[in-house]
Amino acid sequence: MNRSDLYNQCCRFNGQRVRITCHDGRVHVGEITRVNRNMVWIRPDENLGGYGLGFFGGYGESGFGFGIALGAIAGIALASAFFW
Amino acid sequence: MTNTYLDLLAYFGIGGAHPGGFNLTKAILENENIQPNESVLDVGCGTGQTAAFLAEKYNCQVTAIDNHPIMVQKARQRFKKIKVPVMVLEEDVHNLDFVDSSFDLVIAESVIVFTDISRTLKELSRVLKSDGSLIMIEMTAEHYLSEEQQKLACSLYGIKEVLNTEEWILQLHQTGLTQVEIINTPPELIKSEINDINPSIQINMDLFDIWDKHNEFLLHNGDFISYRVFKCRK
Ligand SMILES: C[S@@+](CC[C@H](N)C(=O)[O-])C[C@H]1O[C@@H](n2cnc3c(N)ncnc32)[C@H](O)[C@@H]1O
Repeated sequence: MNRSDLYNQCCRFNGQRVRITCHDGRVHVGEITRVNRNMVWIRPDENLGGYGLGFFGGYGESGFGFGIALGAIAGIALASAFFW
Repeated sequence: MTNTYLDLLAYFGIGGAHPGGFNLTKAILENENIQPNESVLDVGCGTGQTAAFLAEKYNCQVTAIDNHPIMVQKARQRFKKIKVPVMVLEEDVHNLDFVDSSFDLVIAESVIVFTDISRTLKELSRVLKSDGSLIMIEMTAEHYLSEEQQKLACSLYGIKEVLNTEEWILQLHQTGLTQVEIINTPPELIKSEINDINPSIQINMDLFDIWDKHNEFLLHNGDFISYRVFKCRK
């Protein structure tokens, strides 16, 4: 996916739980909290249990989770779905 | 014939792309006493998650077919990567290249609804041994569907009609699959985690639109259309 498609896709998924696969093979699952032309921020699942509501200490004060450079991303899709 | 909904599944490379996902598959297979010498056919295998599992877990003789070149390629890739001996072929389920009575078990996970149902059932029954079983997971109308709902489902998913339970059973009976059992499944359309995914490098943006339309469809029609798991014998 090229950068601008990826950007549009991240915007479209804003607020939803996604699975992001990076070029290095790493996979991140979480809710998209913020998007700009270079980065997408996700609040990862594991946070929900571990840190208590409203506190995302491990990932900076912003509460946005952590940022992933769009250039590092190989693919993005919703994290769960129903298919026929 | 091209089917954009199936292209969506193929290009994203989504494994377990059927109602209930891979968990339902495992739950169903657990109740089958599959032996190593048995031959199993997974039709419309998609990216091959179920076929790989069958070969790994039960050590049985697995053949997987699909008519979508990308699905076949991704299935082949999977089998090679994890080194499971699954024979994978690009074939059309309407017209299979196997002799009669070839398989002890045929599995179709959300496949038959996308085909000419009566032709496919005839073909599957033909390749099934006389004491073999066909297990299928298929979209099924839960309530009466308006003409509009039928039309929408047909155009979105590239299918001809949405059958209800009785109509499926009738089709099966007409094919000579006279013993039909419905396996209990949860009534809701539960989402599955998409954790088996092998996306193509290039994914056309249209496919994201189809995904949106599909979600929209489920939102409005999810109470009317569900699925059934049928276990059939001759
Ligand atoms: C909803 S997907 C399910 C895939 C797989 N069984 C799974 O559960 O992940 C339907 C599959 O049926 C295949 N299919 C549709 N029509 C077919 C046909 N006429 N012959 C063979 N395969 C077909 C599609 O290519 C697709 O892989």
